[in-house]
Amino acid sequence: MTTSRQLTRPKALAGLGLVGFVLLLGLVGPLLAPYGPLEQIEGANLVGPSPSHWLGTDEVNRDVLSRTLSGIRLDLLVVFVAVPVGAAIGVLTGLLTAWWNVADVLTQRIFDVVLAFPTLIFAIALSAFIGPGVWTIAIVIVALEIPVFGRLVRTSVRTVREMPYVEAAQVAGAGPLWVLRRHVLPNSLEPLTVQLAVSMSVAVFIEAAMSFLGIGVQAPNPSLGSLIKDGTTLMYDAPFLALGPLALVLVLVLGLLLISQSLSEAHRD
Amino acid sequence: MLSYLVRRIPSAVGVLFAASFLIFLMLRLIPGDPVDALAGQDATQESRDAIRADLGLDKPFWSQYVSWLGGLFRLDLGQSYRIGGDVGDLLRNGALNTVVLTVAALLIALVLALVTSLVAVIRDSRWLNAALNAVNTIGLALPTFASGLLLVLVFAVVFPLLPSGGTPPEGYLARPDISVQYLLLPAFCLALPVWAGLSRFLTEALRSQLRQPYITTARAAGVSRTRLVVRHALPNALPSAVTVLGIQVGTLLGGAVLVEQIFTWPGLGSLIELAISGRDYPVVQVLLLLSVAVFVVTQLLTDVLQAWLDPRIRIGGAR
Amino acid sequence: MTDPVGSTEETGTRDVLTIEGLAISFAQPRPAVNDISVSIRQGEVLALVGESGSGKSMTARAVLGLLPPGARASGSIRFHDQELLGLSERELSQVRGRRIAMVFQEPQTALNPVRTIGWQLREVLRAHGSISRRDARARALALLEQVEIPEPERRIDHYPHQLSGGQKQRVVLALALANEPELLLADEPTTALDVTVQAEILTLLRRIRENTGTSILLITHNMGVVAEVADRVVVLRQGDVVESGGTAELFRAPEHAYTRQLLDSVLTLPEAGDYVHSVPGPEAPAEHPALSYESVSVAYGSSRRGRAFPAVTQVSLDLAPGEVLGLVGESGSGKTTLGRLAAGLVPLAGGTVRLDGEDLFAASAARRRELGRDLAFVHQDPEASLDPRMSVGASIREPLDIHRVGTPAERAARVAELLEAVRLPAEVARRRPRELSGGQRQRIAMARALVLKPRLMIADEPTSALDVSVQADVLALFRDLQKEFGFACVFISHDLAVVNSVADRVAVLRHGEVVESGPVAQVFGTPSHPYTQRLLAAVPVPDPSRRTTEQVVEANRRRAG
Repeated sequence: MTTSRQLTRPKALAGLGLVGFVLLLGLVGPLLAPYGPLEQIEGANLVGPSPSHWLGTDEVNRDVLSRTLSGIRLDLLVVFVAVPVGAAIGVLTGLLTAWWNVADVLTQRIFDVVLAFPTLIFAIALSAFIGPGVWTIAIVIVALEIPVFGRLVRTSVRTVREMPYVEAAQVAGAGPLWVLRRHVLPNSLEPLTVQLAVSMSVAVFIEAAMSFLGIGVQAPNPSLGSLIKDGTTLMYDAPFLALGPLALVLVLVLGLLLISQSLSEAHRD
Repeated sequence: MLSYLVRRIPSAVGVLFAASFLIFLMLRLIPGDPVDALAGQDATQESRDAIRADLGLDKPFWSQYVSWLGGLFRLDLGQSYRIGGDVGDLLRNGALNTVVLTVAALLIALVLALVTSLVAVIRDSRWLNAALNAVNTIGLALPTFASGLLLVLVFAVVFPLLPSGGTPPEGYLARPDISVQYLLLPAFCLALPVWAGLSRFLTEALRSQLRQPYITTARAAGVSRTRLVVRHALPNALPSAVTVLGIQVGTLLGGAVLVEQIFTWPGLGSLIELAISGRDYPVVQVLLLLSVAVFVVTQLLTDVLQAWLDPRIRIGGAR
Repeated sequence: MTDPVGSTEETGTRDVLTIEGLAISFAQPRPAVNDISVSIRQGEVLALVGESGSGKSMTARAVLGLLPPGARASGSIRFHDQELLGLSERELSQVRGRRIAMVFQEPQTALNPVRTIGWQLREVLRAHGSISRRDARARALALLEQVEIPEPERRIDHYPHQLSGGQKQRVVLALALANEPELLLADEPTTALDVTVQAEILTLLRRIRENTGTSILLITHNMGVVAEVADRVVVLRQGDVVESGGTAELFRAPEHAYTRQLLDSVLTLPEAGDYVHSVPGPEAPAEHPALSYESVSVAYGSSRRGRAFPAVTQVSLDLAPGEVLGLVGESGSGKTTLGRLAAGLVPLAGGTVRLDGEDLFAASAARRRELGRDLAFVHQDPEASLDPRMSVGASIREPLDIHRVGTPAERAARVAELLEAVRLPAEVARRRPRELSGGQRQRIAMARALVLKPRLMIADEPTSALDVSVQADVLALFRDLQKEFGFACVFISHDLAVVNSVADRVAVLRHGEVVESGPVAQVFGTPSHPYTQRLLAAVPVPDPSRRTTEQVVEANRRRAG
């Protein structure tokens, strides 16, 4: 079954809808936002949700809805730019090294070392050395995804190269690059798309967790994670602050999970 | 069996060495004088010189690395400059709390995953599957800090049944009942994603085992469904589940940082957070290496456990 | 509804199982069962024969309620006086194993890989009433003895992977016999086994029937197996009963055209004495053999760790241009390795492989690729031999693309030409492999192999995954293509009759060594090596009047003892 057909299953459609909703909000949201993300509004201190401030205002009089809409962009950058960049580098490295034993052993050892760091601790480590910030998040994600995808592609190469149709091509005189481009890559796409969706949802977690720990986006700039953190510090006084951004994180991750689940279910059938 | 373990040790040790080198190298690559970073902007000249001498920064790179490694082998982990005190002491104080928390979480996740996936597969009812699947997906989609906050909000604020944070004041063994109360929320919060991932995997693995021909053989001989699942399919699904559990230990270690933060649990996770925000590099270095070591040893153990669970590896292929 | 087949002819014997008007349907489109009526008498061996899609396996599975999810069965299946269709899972488990037991095709996967043989036997015994550990062990040992497993005391604590394929199938039989069932359903019980092992298992089945009076419903596609053991035969085709009757009569005078077709597509071996010392085959005095193995050896496993074992040792064979050389042998004989060696797919441990006089393994990578133009490889598995993501046309064209032969239009024309040569319509080029049948896919694989006009083809069991009637067509096609294109061919098969029908010469392999080689008619007609004789004798003959395997097994036993 092809990927495009899998994506029309109800579960996948629901996932695509959720992700598309967040994507749309992030792209056009800032245009619709009633206030600027850093704008301080006279006399609106910790106002609860109301028609003029749907998600209320924070302790320095900023409109939380406007900050949330603007904060989505960072998560979109992480999900739709950093993850694919890391994935592309990983796939290329995996493809080009898996065929030749020496290069393969070398890159797999490097991947081993990187993957030996638990994800969040790896993020903390990198940020400790390059300092906190948006770019740190992006670099952490790219650095994490390279070995993940490199590993995955390597497995595919190892499986597909044993297939009789690859042997037939080799006997007919096909070289490694031919086999990789014509047979291995097309036949690895399914597991790769599943992993892409999983990685994207993990990336949302990592952004949120890093910002939560104060090593991601720095104040006063908003991201979904930093907004949740801001909200939690006032959890007992103004529990509404974290709700909007938390709901968006849930929607985005849930959407990506649904997509990955339906892709892998179809893959199994 | 022993030779199987021995064969895997060199690569594990190699990974550890490479990681230690990487961590050490990163520290040296910080732009500017590391002494500035270590001592902070407002340090006196004396403390700066003390740090410089202590780190041996006037020596060449390799000898610095070797002496750091040598210190690790002698369990001399260096001095913390920001938090203060011996790094080894800091570690000892936090380690017990973290070990208690993560082991409790691991057990909760393991038991819950076994129970839910076995029940789901044995009953095989449409509604039960849908419900478990939904809970499962939420468990995966809920970020750890979000589930932590929700748990605190529900069980400590709205219904004040359990403490909202902290470790048992009189130690773990003095009043086990109170310890359990303190442990319950953070451990469950930490266990949630591990349970969700593991039970999802195990359910699927059991189902795919049930499609295997050997199950049909047993079914045709009149073995009941419960026995088929528990006594036939489960032992076949366990080796790969063990591998997944080993990988989930990484999730557990990362999650511990968040959970300890939320539940003000004074463990290594809080320590690393404190050390990073305070730029306390000697502490950060050791904690990073420790987390890699725990992960690598876990992988080693799961490899061996997996091999032991599978007679095809344990006894070898000879007829 | 049709009458239950042949239940009224003889008197005095009771019907054990009566299937009437069985129909099975599926939610997804797949071969179903339309209307099958069969009955089995006490102590009889009834063969259910048919090709894939005939519904023979589904019928057997329906008896024990083991149909795949989504299948719906209607009609009636009566065991003595008990209706089995519609029983609950709990009621069925009372019948399963205790009154009716089943044996499956694939012994490699039919046993639980992480439990010992003894555990699995105990588990089956316990499924029908409590039994003490000691009694269970004693009973398990007795069962292993009954299925003639050597050293049962030792084997009982072994895991399946420590047994050979034949021993595994004996254990599967022991599991089925554990609770002394009245009826045994055997679904292709010998198909996955080597022919000498098949002969042993068939003998064992006959002995079980004689000793215990168990009725056996034998499901098979192999007419030879039917002739060896069955009392009566029911021929199925696409979910319907085509013909039925006593084995001897049905083989002597088949009434239905399909039965005749099935019997005709069975390939036969030359009779002893058929071979007349004639002029040697088509040996044109060529400059070089198309392929020559000069005392080649291949080792598997890492020699560095000292665990390498020889797959092929010191084999020397020549293949003249345009000649077809058959390689036969049982599993582990090294025949496939030898074929893969000529294609450069396995590393050489010793000796020389020459293609057209040129040392293959001494050639540079670029030169090897050039040599590849004259060489083609056809794989056994039609499922995996075509890239599922490429259209059939692109797969056939691939070798032309690799070597950049001709313009795109010329390549397309060549593809059309080859599709015609393998007798498939041109529009197939646009389809995906999964839309085609196994036989069609194997034709495509042959077309791809021929696209560069090779001088040598390696065909590794190209028909073993196909139904007999399809196999007959593909083999006829192969003979025509070989005549037309004139390539030399190494034809690998475990099936002696297949090799007999296509090869000029044959080499018999055993444990990586050639035991005998020569013109096909000579080797098969007057085999000189005892192993070849044994191999030939083990092949079931599709003639019920000449049941041979029992004698073969006896001869083997005497030799071994």
